[in-house]
Amino acid sequence: MKSLRRFFTRLFNSAARRAEEERLHEEIHEHIALQTEENLRAGLSPVEAQRQAMLKFGGVEAMKQDYRAERGLPLIENLLGDLRNAARSISRMPGLAAVIVISLAIGIGVNTTIFSWIQLILFQPLPAVTGAANFLLVEPRTESGGYPGASWLEYRDVQTQVPALRDVVASQMVPFNVGERGQTERTHGQLVSGNYFSALALKPALGRFFRPEEAERPGTEPVLVISYDYWQTRFRGAPDTVGQTLRVNERNLIVIGVAPKDFQGTLVPLKFELWVPATMAPALLGGTRDLEDRTLRSFSLIGMLRPGATRQQAQAEFSTATAQLARDYPEASAGIGGEILPFWSSPRGPQRLLISGLAILQGVMLLLLLAVCGNTANLMLARGSTRQREMAVRVALGAGRWRIASLVLSENMLLALVGTSLGAAIALWGTTALRVAPIIGAFPLLFPTRVDAFTLAFAMLLGAACGLIFSAAPAVHLARLDVQDGLRSSSNTPPRSRARKVLMGVEVGLAMVVLIAAALFLENFRSASQTDPRFRPEGVLLAAYDLSGRNPDDTSEREFAARLLERLRSLPDVEAAAIATNVPLDLHGIPARPFTVQGRVRTQPGQDRAISNTVTPGYFKVMAIPLVEGNDFADIRDKAAPAQAIVNEEFVRRYLDGADAIGRRLQTRAASFTITGVARNSVYDAFGEPAQPAVYFSYRDRPQDQGEIHLRTRSGNETALTSEARAVLRNLDPMLPLYDVRTFSQHIERNLYLRRIPARMFAVLGPLLLGLAAVGIYAVVSYAVARRTREIGVRLAFGATSSRVGLQIIRENLGVIAWGAGIGWLLALVISGHAIPKGGVNLPVFLGVPAILLAVATLACWIPARRASRIDPMAALRHE
Amino acid sequence: MVLKTLDVLGPVHGYGIARRIEQISGDLLAVNQGTLYPVLLKLEQEGAIASAWGASENNRRARFYRLTRAGRKQLQAETRDWEQTAAIISRFFEAKPEDLS
Repeated sequence: MKSLRRFFTRLFNSAARRAEEERLHEEIHEHIALQTEENLRAGLSPVEAQRQAMLKFGGVEAMKQDYRAERGLPLIENLLGDLRNAARSISRMPGLAAVIVISLAIGIGVNTTIFSWIQLILFQPLPAVTGAANFLLVEPRTESGGYPGASWLEYRDVQTQVPALRDVVASQMVPFNVGERGQTERTHGQLVSGNYFSALALKPALGRFFRPEEAERPGTEPVLVISYDYWQTRFRGAPDTVGQTLRVNERNLIVIGVAPKDFQGTLVPLKFELWVPATMAPALLGGTRDLEDRTLRSFSLIGMLRPGATRQQAQAEFSTATAQLARDYPEASAGIGGEILPFWSSPRGPQRLLISGLAILQGVMLLLLLAVCGNTANLMLARGSTRQREMAVRVALGAGRWRIASLVLSENMLLALVGTSLGAAIALWGTTALRVAPIIGAFPLLFPTRVDAFTLAFAMLLGAACGLIFSAAPAVHLARLDVQDGLRSSSNTPPRSRARKVLMGVEVGLAMVVLIAAALFLENFRSASQTDPRFRPEGVLLAAYDLSGRNPDDTSEREFAARLLERLRSLPDVEAAAIATNVPLDLHGIPARPFTVQGRVRTQPGQDRAISNTVTPGYFKVMAIPLVEGNDFADIRDKAAPAQAIVNEEFVRRYLDGADAIGRRLQTRAASFTITGVARNSVYDAFGEPAQPAVYFSYRDRPQDQGEIHLRTRSGNETALTSEARAVLRNLDPMLPLYDVRTFSQHIERNLYLRRIPARMFAVLGPLLLGLAAVGIYAVVSYAVARRTREIGVRLAFGATSSRVGLQIIRENLGVIAWGAGIGWLLALVISGHAIPKGGVNLPVFLGVPAILLAVATLACWIPARRASRIDPMAALRHE
Repeated sequence: MVLKTLDVLGPVHGYGIARRIEQISGDLLAVNQGTLYPVLLKLEQEGAIASAWGASENNRRARFYRLTRAGRKQLQAETRDWEQTAAIISRFFEAKPEDLS
């Protein structure tokens, strides 16, 4: 109690220092005056009386010091004093401080930004859902390693047969046409199981969520839940929204509730606006058999472990269940096992694209930060040495080692603090900038990354760690200072600082690793985006339509496609037009289908699979993919021709022993096709992928309710076609929206977008790091030159040529740099060997980067070395 | 000692306390008077004494210290403690070898 009270008084006193000082002064004055009077009364002379009084009182200053120590909190006061001092000494070196703060800020900012993404994926994968990271993905898995998703019936089975999991939730993403005839709007939603919201433990912002019985029987309960944003934008946040109807795919659905703010569905970063019970699927999606057909694997499942259960247990149960399913339903489930995966390792979606890149990026950026620290330490060390005199004076005046160290520490910590704050600001800006990055496309993406307390704590931790790291060397160095030596007006033989050189070497090594990583990444990215896709995207316009809302049948779909194409082809600027169900280089990839082919006996269990796309005749012309054998598909309206398929060269090589493709029969689950042509291989899922087998089916044989229109223009100006294409569709069907209109190049851009983020970061940070390394080297060398002015002067006086002196300095430092660079190079080689096992060594990168780095390092040495060689020997010798 | 002085004299300024201690101890304890002030400050911060400006005998501004209630309690507690300690010590000095047998 007492000590607490004292503490607060002292704390207060620390603040109100001045008034107290005066009080003490006055008291002492008074005391001595009284004593003097007493002495006078005792008969001493005035002077003697005063003297005696002073003597009796003792050392005023020492006592004041004691008094102050009693009064305030010396530790904190010292710290504040140190900080003031630090601020002052930093303000004396604005250039240096700016370099340090900015480099630190960039390092911390970048790291924090990346961390906020990693945090999103690892710890808060579902915004607005607490504990979402605990959810597990329940994924059927084909033997070839694909994750096809689960069917509705399978979901039912999982619920009963995997007791280790509770609250298993199924969802499927569906595009809906919302609105009245003629003015529909495409809105994305999820078909979900009845327990969806309760399992996620969400509270509605308005209304209620589904009742269990509303998701029991197919098609009975026309209800839906809308997202918060949708409520705000479409209903203007009106409180009576609940109970209103929304026309979805030409059915009236009643809004029963609004999802909580920020909730965007369970397939982050996709952002959904509507949630409808899965049992509505047949009614909304033209009588789809999603709920009965085990081969329609359109749902993704997530679930939470029952208390006490382990993931291994769930995995074992799930494996047993899938094995049983494979026996019971060989058609749908043969060769399909199952995997229980942690949420962050989602096998699909942009998350997967991001996570590995992010991990590498974070690692590299931490290295970069370390290099920044090394650089700063070096600069501070160089500066610290010029302050040896100052420190020696402080020690001589009685400052303890710890005080000296804390002086240095506080200076660096202040720099670190400023750098961290700036870094946090950069991170704040960076996360928002990356989040709102425009992604053109069919699916609204929203990365709910943000800089929260956790992320800020990360930044602070980084900052503090950096401060400590780059304080350590100078603090130790100065605290070990020999006072005698430091006070001497000039040290005759300046001790060569090994620490500085080692730091310089380490920094160069780190720079080498990071630069090579950056270069490899950029090279990879550049080669990916410049690889010939083996089709011609230039001059092609893409647009999508969707008939699924109006329950079409095969004939009407076929007829619609035929008429649409006829009209499009009649446009003067259209060179060729086609419709396909899938577009290569889409973010979510093109599905692969199982099949059997005549004359091939599969040796291993399981099924042959190939990427499959359903296209209209004319597709290969639009895409400029040549047919190496056979002919294009028969006309859409041709009823006589047999079912046809066109395969690619890789298909022929892999499944048909490389020959005689034409005329062979291909059997899929539903039907049998005759191969009528062989197309050249092209890129399907990603640039730089290995050749994949692919099958094209004809729209004529397999009409689809949705399609991507491909238009090749004559003029090469594909965007000019947009309005004409819209008009064509409107003429054909006024109610059908044409959506996701984009050029093929834009489409590819979208695919590259996620890879571009890290590439851009590297592109900016690479030169920055090079600059940092150069500054670091420059600082060390120029400091060394300054210290050796006299030595150099003597040498010059004895007849050394100036070029010789300069060369020697460069050689000495380059030796260290070469060591660091060599080790960094080897490290990069090992790392790249692990990261890209089959890649081999990228020679241009592994030779070019060291060349550039060494050139920059030489330049950074040369500038101070030249200064050294210009030293006037007389002036240098007179210098002291 | 400071507390006792204040207890006896009532409100008094720093110099008075110093004089008093000197007088009572018969000038045996002639420490530097300056050391008194940090002690006074500590006591004040602990709340045992309070201080206020007042006029000294020759009408100058001086800081007068007085005992607070807490200080009085502390004085009593410390007096008791000291008496106990003194009693124990003195018993050690009085003890003779034969007492132990």
